[in-house]
Amino acid sequence: MFELIDVTKVYKGQKRAVDGVTMRLGTGVVGLLGPNGAGKSSLMRIAATVTRPTSGRVLFEGTDTVAKPDALRRHLGYLPQDFGVYPNLTAREFLSYLAAVKGLSARSARARVDELLRLVGLAEAAKRPLGRYSGGMLRRVGIAQTLLADPRVLMVDEPTAGLDPQERVRFRNLLSELAADRLVLLSTHIVSDVESVADDIAIVAQGRLLRRGTPEQLLRAVAGHVWETVVAPETVAAVQARHMVSRMVRTADGVRLRLLSTTRPDPDAALVPPDLEDAYLGAVGGIREVAR
Amino acid sequence: MSARVLGALAVADFRERVRRPAYAVVLLAAVGLGYLAAPAAGAHWTIVNAGDYRGVYGSAYIGAVTALAGALWLSAAGFYVVRTAIARDEHTGVGQLLAATPLRTSTYLVGKFLSNLLVLGSMTAALAGTALVMQLARGESRAVHPVDLLLPFVLFTLPVLALTATAAVLFETIPVLRSGFGNVLWCFVALTAMIAGQSAGAPLGGLGVHVFAASVRDEFAAQGIRVTEVAIGLMYADDPPRAVGFSGVDFSAAFAGQRLVAVLLAIAVAAVPALWFGRFDPARAVVPAVPTAVTVTAVQPFVSYQMVLSKARVRRGRALARLVAGETRILVAGVSRWWWLGVAALVVAGAAAPVRASGPLLIAAWIWPVLIWSRLGTRAAEAGVEGLLGGYPSPVRRALAQWLAGVALTALVGAGAGARLAAAGDLAGWLAGVVFIPALALALGLVSRTHRLFQAIYPPLWYAVLNDIRGLDFMGALPGGPHPILVGGAAALLVTASLATVAARHARR
Repeated sequence: MFELIDVTKVYKGQKRAVDGVTMRLGTGVVGLLGPNGAGKSSLMRIAATVTRPTSGRVLFEGTDTVAKPDALRRHLGYLPQDFGVYPNLTAREFLSYLAAVKGLSARSARARVDELLRLVGLAEAAKRPLGRYSGGMLRRVGIAQTLLADPRVLMVDEPTAGLDPQERVRFRNLLSELAADRLVLLSTHIVSDVESVADDIAIVAQGRLLRRGTPEQLLRAVAGHVWETVVAPETVAAVQARHMVSRMVRTADGVRLRLLSTTRPDPDAALVPPDLEDAYLGAVGGIREVAR
Repeated sequence: MSARVLGALAVADFRERVRRPAYAVVLLAAVGLGYLAAPAAGAHWTIVNAGDYRGVYGSAYIGAVTALAGALWLSAAGFYVVRTAIARDEHTGVGQLLAATPLRTSTYLVGKFLSNLLVLGSMTAALAGTALVMQLARGESRAVHPVDLLLPFVLFTLPVLALTATAAVLFETIPVLRSGFGNVLWCFVALTAMIAGQSAGAPLGGLGVHVFAASVRDEFAAQGIRVTEVAIGLMYADDPPRAVGFSGVDFSAAFAGQRLVAVLLAIAVAAVPALWFGRFDPARAVVPAVPTAVTVTAVQPFVSYQMVLSKARVRRGRALARLVAGETRILVAGVSRWWWLGVAALVVAGAAAPVRASGPLLIAAWIWPVLIWSRLGTRAAEAGVEGLLGGYPSPVRRALAQWLAGVALTALVGAGAGARLAAAGDLAGWLAGVVFIPALALALGLVSRTHRLFQAIYPPLWYAVLNDIRGLDFMGALPGGPHPILVGGAAALLVTASLATVAARHARR
């Protein structure tokens, strides 16, 4: 359905934001996970036809979207990480305008805007100028506009920023629902967002695709390498220098650490089952003894 | 007011501005002005009208003339270059950071003034450098006298630019002048200052033209040449002026004192808005910068997609008319009822007046929407919607819809006079104006991505028509103006250029 083939993006000044990424994507939620500055947003912009890649191809159902972006745009819902709105328009007016830009018929646009305002819980606030909306409400408007044309491909970049915890949960459920019959590409640096909805996770860092697989496959990669131990507070810095420490809790007995290591870090350390955050840190930061 | 803090503020702001690509354009404009100030020996244009003569292109003459050109044009145009120092701090959020420090408001404002002056000063430095190059390039006198060359920039140009830098701070801190209205008002302020500042009685030495004129008169008289009037501007000369010797401007201590007072006054006035400047506190803003509270009940939780969305397939259809309607809504969104009342008055007056009054009424009508037109081609960029629209189809169609929205607005505002002209069978000029004005606005907006360029360029054009300069009558308001086909053709070219710009940007995305 959607393919990125050896996609590279080099910005002026020779910064290589995306470096030879190849991915084939079908229906379902694909989580794009990576630290800040990993190149996720650049990759999302390329996938969404907003930016052209320096090299490589992007295919949607066999059509090159770099040469023919409208072939994808008619079927695309895209939510960038940061976006603005026209502050004097109401939510309904803004969505109606965007529906016209998408080329929806008048009847479809009217019905769709009403439905989407209800979907994102803004039906009662629909007549207020967007300039009076809070950040979370604007994010909802952004989410609503992605669904205007009932897209077959949905690309959302850090969509839960500005949403409170309850809204985040509901939004993740919405994404799961939507992914039943379409591709949802979800970019985030929040592991829990991906963990709860994605059955296919791609970890990127420094512009490169480091690892890709189901959550189970990613967990297997670090199984047997995640330890918990309690150390004296004054030794924490030394442990951090040697291992990737994923969690640190100060207790009455000392500091309880969760860390990644190929070997038992100290005689009292206990092996624990990995979670997705361990898998992510293992992929991005590496398990240091392995590197040595 | 610590000098170290002032310096840090001014230099940081200056660095931020000069590292933007637009700064290179600004410097190029200064270089272009320096080139204009010293036309070739056979050229028919001049920026100094001193009868049929001019000074030999030595350091003294080229320095004085280029410095006066700087005082005249950089003060007018430079305002638009530096008028967003405080707005940028608000937009980037840096203002909030500064507001939480012990920095005094007056220090902040004077720091912004200094930063403005540094930008304008760097343009002056580019101008002075160009003057030196032009002296050597023209080759009439290769002896370089640094004091003769540079002193006019210090005494003619910089004090005027200091006042411009202060005006920019004032305009940014007075709510009604922060908007596009301030940009338009500055056009008229600058036009008035250009004319009044050339008189000998202008306060604080004005532009300094009278000092230069006195030296020219004295020196030329000593060579047997009588000069009655000396004026600065961009003028056509039937015959290229003849070069005669000129040893330099005779700057008096009194004039230097006046210029010093001008600079000190500029600094003092820059601190005055501390009395009312809100220090980035949204609660003290006239128009709230951050969203006002929305009752929680207005926001409902997300609901299930399947529950809410109908099974009916989303259909595509003809959307251009709705797109134009949407662009029109964006164009006039937030416009006050008073503005619409003004439109109604202009339409009624235009329709009711006799046909001979249609021209003046059309001129009156087609300055009214100047701030609205300036939104064409700039709204998406200025509102930050471009990122969202990047994934939407047909950017060229959107640009076309924007122009059509502008055409609709222009026709509406000029409808009264248009109806009278139609009844008289003289509608072609009106129609040309209807398509030309939004085409100009769209082109300038798309190229510059800011509303300021149109706001700076349109009022002088309009003023020229108001002053009966028929060659520039793009409205069809004056008898004997350009043929409507010519104006319409220019509009077509501008629209084509706009759409090509959008297509090229999209191709290079």
